[in-house]
Amino acid sequence: MNSPDVVMRGAGLHKRYRLGKDNFVNALRGANVEITAGEMVAIMGPSGSGKSTIMHIMGCLDRPDQGEIWLDGKRVDRLGGGELNRIRSREIGFIFQGFNLIPTLSALENISLAAEYAGASRREAMRKAAQALADVGLAGWAGHRPSELSGGQQQRVAIARALVNAPSMVLGDEPTGDLDTGTSREIMSMMRHINQDTGTTFVLVTHNPEVAAVCARIIYMRDGLVVEGDPGQAPGGSSAQG
Amino acid sequence: MRIIRNVFRRKLRASLTIFGITIGVFALVVMGAMAEKITLLVDGGTRYFSDKVTVSASSMHGFGAGPLSVNKLQELETIDDVALASADITMTLEKEQGASFGMPSLVIGSDLRGIERESFSVSFRDGRDLEAGDAGKAVVGSDLVRRMDAQVGNTITVRDREFEVVGIMEKTFTMPDNSIFIPFLDAQEIFYHDNLPEIVRTHIDMREITTGITLYPEEGVDPDELAERIKEMMPEYDIVGPARFEEQVTSATRIFTTIVFGVAIISLLVGGLSVINTMTMSVFERTREIGIRKSLGASHGRIIRQFLSESAVIGLIGGISGLLLGWLFIVVANSLGDASGTVVFLLTPRLAVGSVAFAFFLGILSGLYPSWRAARMNPVEALRYE
Ligand SMILES: Nc1ncnc2c1ncn2[C@@H]1O[C@H](COP(=O)(O)OP(=O)(O)OP(=O)(O)O)[C@@H](O)[C@H]1O
Ligand SMILES: [Mg+2]
Repeated sequence: MNSPDVVMRGAGLHKRYRLGKDNFVNALRGANVEITAGEMVAIMGPSGSGKSTIMHIMGCLDRPDQGEIWLDGKRVDRLGGGELNRIRSREIGFIFQGFNLIPTLSALENISLAAEYAGASRREAMRKAAQALADVGLAGWAGHRPSELSGGQQQRVAIARALVNAPSMVLGDEPTGDLDTGTSREIMSMMRHINQDTGTTFVLVTHNPEVAAVCARIIYMRDGLVVEGDPGQAPGGSSAQG
Repeated sequence: MRIIRNVFRRKLRASLTIFGITIGVFALVVMGAMAEKITLLVDGGTRYFSDKVTVSASSMHGFGAGPLSVNKLQELETIDDVALASADITMTLEKEQGASFGMPSLVIGSDLRGIERESFSVSFRDGRDLEAGDAGKAVVGSDLVRRMDAQVGNTITVRDREFEVVGIMEKTFTMPDNSIFIPFLDAQEIFYHDNLPEIVRTHIDMREITTGITLYPEEGVDPDELAERIKEMMPEYDIVGPARFEEQVTSATRIFTTIVFGVAIISLLVGGLSVINTMTMSVFERTREIGIRKSLGASHGRIIRQFLSESAVIGLIGGISGLLLGWLFIVVANSLGDASGTVVFLLTPRLAVGSVAFAFFLGILSGLYPSWRAARMNPVEALRYE
């Protein structure tokens, strides 16, 4: 029921958060989403429209109350926690607004941790991490702690961490939200190049039209629903495939 | 390395927590070493008393019964199943024994009649044992070597009398370590002049006195049964067989050991609570880090293992430093005590290993709940946490 190049499909996704005794927020109310392999997609929409929520559900970090999630042709929303951990470690890479590096670990260790969680031995993880770090142009910064790196450098380490296990999909929640315009452009162009060079799928939540413009397609959300964007509108490129 | 780095993220707090464990283990080591010393003393006594019956003037009758007499030897030897009787004089090294910590040092003179039958053997580090016919000679226990400044060939002063050292005993970890052995006749003389009041002295022949008689039963005879029989025959004396000795001693040591370990365990439990507190705070402070790790796909097991290993390291560091501190204390206290012949502490390997292992497992135990809390955090909420 999935075409082979659909990497991720969410159908009829509902999510509601409880605020008080009889007080709920419906963060998602039947959202549908489909991501094709190798795409670079932006998710836009007003604050509170459910962008982060759907991204967490797409990344198996959270479960929908209702609806289905298919990843690489496999239904995952009913899987147990252990199975979801495994999927998250191997198939998904996350990039966050605040970088979310572990402050006590060096750049290299932050990346190798992700490889270890995906099952690599300590030595293999270190080797992969060094390669990933070199790929984002930070080979000389392996031993630096996050606090010793600039925002742009930290986000590059986070990108390397997201990519170290060659995941099916990289999910970013406002990855340039904490960066200045120049650095933001640098990071976006780096992700675009990785997308084109390796065919890695990117899904980026953003408020920034300039960031969205780099993406091949834009998904709009409002009030917990997806208002599908027209790929033709995306000025950044006409093809998802690099 | 990563574990240690994480433990010492909050240096002061980690150090205080470790210090708490250190104190607990220190208490366990020091008090345990005291209990170990006593246990060994008691074990030695139990072994010594296992195949014999001792007769001494009853403490209940005071001097009413007067000191025992060597004349009793023949009488005792005629009792059925008694193979041999041997007299000895046991007195404290100090003429006036004040209150002291631990066991007082002893001077013992035996008539050596039991020497062939004695199963409790002591080896010699230097020199030889006393022999029949020796006079003015002494054998020194290992804990008294320093205090007496003893060396084979040297002269030492025991109760103001000079003795030539002919032997130095190997450490036995029991009573002989803290004793000096001299010939029976010399012991009689000292005891007669130093220990007996004037009135008693005028009524007694110096060569007849003895403070204890050791009975060696015939082959295959139950010493406890023999002790019972002799007790009925001579109720005015204190008759002690193996069972009676053990009963007297173990009830006393059991109370002591219970108190000692009770105090140490309580202080360690307090240390354990502080580990729980530290780990709970650490988990709380690192909520976001836990969210990150979960977003990277860390399993419950991995998160639990991470925090458990941190609390185990706290326990282990605390345990090792407590052991080192305790060991230092024991070495200093024993060498100070050595000069006065009161070695009170004995740090045994099982105590050392046991204390550190206990701290280690306490660390793990204290980390269980905080780690479990960390593992079941909701990753999305953990990531939102500021
Ligand atoms: N853990 C939560 N508990 C309660 N309410 C929540 C929680 N997470 C999200 N919500 C609510 O769900 C709705 C959707 O939130 P979500 O974070 O997905 O929005 P968003 O589109 O990412 O917004 P923003 O652009 O501000 O990041 C909001 O009304 C939010 O307040
Ligand atoms: Mg959001």
